[in-house]
Amino acid sequence: MTHRSLTRRDVLRSGSTAMAVAVMQMSMPDFVFPAEEEGEELVEFLNMPRSGPNRLDWETLEEWFTPQEQVFNVQHYGIPEVDSESHRLEITGLVDKPKAFTIDELKERPQHDQLMTLECSGNGASKGFMNAIYNSKWTGTPLAPLLKECGIQPGAKEIVFIGVDRQQETLRKGTSREVTVEVPFGRSMTLTDATNKKLLLAHQRNSQPLEKENGAPLRLIVPGWYGIANVKWLTRIEVRDTRYMGRFMGRDYVTLRGERRGGEVVFVETSVNKMNLKSIIARVTRRPTQDTLVPVKAYGAAWSDGTPVEKVEVRVDDGPWQPARLDEEPRAKYCWTFFSIDLGGLKEGQHTVVSRAVDVNGRVQPAADDDEIALKKTYWEAYQQWPREIELTA
Amino acid sequence: MLGGDDSIGQPVPRKQHFANHDVLFATPRGSSETASASRAAKAGAKLNDQRVETGIGRPGLRNTEVSQPASVAGTVIYKTDPNRRWRYRRYYLKDQRKGHLAEAVIALKGPNLKGLAPAGEQQLAIIDQKNFRFMPETLAIRAGSRVKFTNSDPELHNVRSTDSLNPFNISIDTGREFVTTFSRAGGIRRPVRIGCIFHGAMRAWIYVFDHPYFQVTSADGTFLFSNVPPGRYRLEMVHPAGALRWSQPIEVTPSTTLDTKILVSPDNKEPSK
Repeated sequence: MTHRSLTRRDVLRSGSTAMAVAVMQMSMPDFVFPAEEEGEELVEFLNMPRSGPNRLDWETLEEWFTPQEQVFNVQHYGIPEVDSESHRLEITGLVDKPKAFTIDELKERPQHDQLMTLECSGNGASKGFMNAIYNSKWTGTPLAPLLKECGIQPGAKEIVFIGVDRQQETLRKGTSREVTVEVPFGRSMTLTDATNKKLLLAHQRNSQPLEKENGAPLRLIVPGWYGIANVKWLTRIEVRDTRYMGRFMGRDYVTLRGERRGGEVVFVETSVNKMNLKSIIARVTRRPTQDTLVPVKAYGAAWSDGTPVEKVEVRVDDGPWQPARLDEEPRAKYCWTFFSIDLGGLKEGQHTVVSRAVDVNGRVQPAADDDEIALKKTYWEAYQQWPREIELTA
Repeated sequence: MLGGDDSIGQPVPRKQHFANHDVLFATPRGSSETASASRAAKAGAKLNDQRVETGIGRPGLRNTEVSQPASVAGTVIYKTDPNRRWRYRRYYLKDQRKGHLAEAVIALKGPNLKGLAPAGEQQLAIIDQKNFRFMPETLAIRAGSRVKFTNSDPELHNVRSTDSLNPFNISIDTGREFVTTFSRAGGIRRPVRIGCIFHGAMRAWIYVFDHPYFQVTSADGTFLFSNVPPGRYRLEMVHPAGALRWSQPIEVTPSTTLDTKILVSPDNKEPSK
């Protein structure tokens, strides 16, 4: 299977491509951002783990669509065996006309492409887990018209998405009220969020049938939301009039964060859902030393929940924030944008290079010691600035 | 799959000239405490950051009588292909023009090697967890050796092996350690795969041999087996991180040094399983 079959037309066709014309990076030489020139040498990051398979390799980032061998997958209840022929998607609960669909029936419905950067909400939580992100194209039928056809009843508030994968869960462990039951994987959204026209029931990724580990034969695609919301092996959609509080909504993937209110810090728990504004330096390059200074450039990527990124700034050590150049293309609303910056001549020795993204609403990607990160006690939503350490030798 | 390649340099016998060598215990070249460091020192190899403590008791081939012993020496060279980029090459090819391949496991295979140079007292190697990496990632030891896993990171790590004969799953807090013995020799084909349950990107491979003729290359890509009994062998190489595999029959003649150049390329990549 190749993902190099994606074409410029794919990008143009996508409903999410509202802006620039996309030019595929695949025809470009290895390790070359549009701004990268011949003769630039990679400067390895210090004190970082090596890249491995099935994870994004930031230092070699070159393709806007992530190569298949760098695509991560995370699951909590294992990878189930699902027969696509007999698989059904059931829509039940507070609907006038409950329905069930085969994969073929879903394929016969109107198809839509969605370009999307999918990030695990734990991505960036530590050095050992900061490569769980990829960019690709998903294809499937939009969810909203299907829900409408089923006739959502008054009083419906919540849409629950259930996967085939199941596992025993224990509540109130170690107490007299301990209870263990087998439950399916589930995540939910409000009715408003779930009827966003961008949501897809996807059966293809990058024009190929979904991979088993990526949710085949059917995956919910929620642009701008963390990976956990994109339910794999989707088999049931339930419309409910109460909040759904399964493990991955109410107990796990819950961010515990302190908020300053007057003189005190109040801790608040929220369910992980929309992606946060984020950027990272993917790699640093250099040229031979000239007059004691080393010419250095930095390259990276920035992304969000779909809110446009207005600018990315880069800082070396304690110097001023300098504006990076955002690539005009390829771009898409729910995808990462590549950026680059010429940092000029730096002295030989060790340096720290860090980026921060700013969106059109003025939101600035926080540093690790800013309250919204420093007072966050759980590791999900790790969108803090990530300083890269480098050493420039003679 | 093992297999030669027409482009591979043919071994060329030459007169023995590594006098008084006592190389026997194969570890990465950074293992300065081992006897194998003698060759590394001759080659001027820089010590890398792999911390391996070995040689306790240092049994040695001196105790084993090999008639007219010979040596097998060589360099592993990776030939890059611009159309088939190996993205990990930045870790293992210090100088891409020279192509010296680091962290490759080299070993002899033959019917009469087992039992040569008894392991003697137990050996101890160290694999540290530092900067969210196993260091070293690739280790080769004699069967019966112990490995001490340590954690130098300010975060909880874990070492896990699903090896059927010696499975373990131990969490190691900062500054703590876990020691285990590797008794079974899986040779070059069946390494013990090591991971950290908390950090999926961390990985390591431990190759366990029932003879002394194995080594892990350092940045200069070289290796040397001394005191080799003359005879016919297979010279085998694997690079676990790069999924590279190579092997070729060799004949070791008395009192000579067989000088080899192992040329590998993307053609030597193992098919993914």
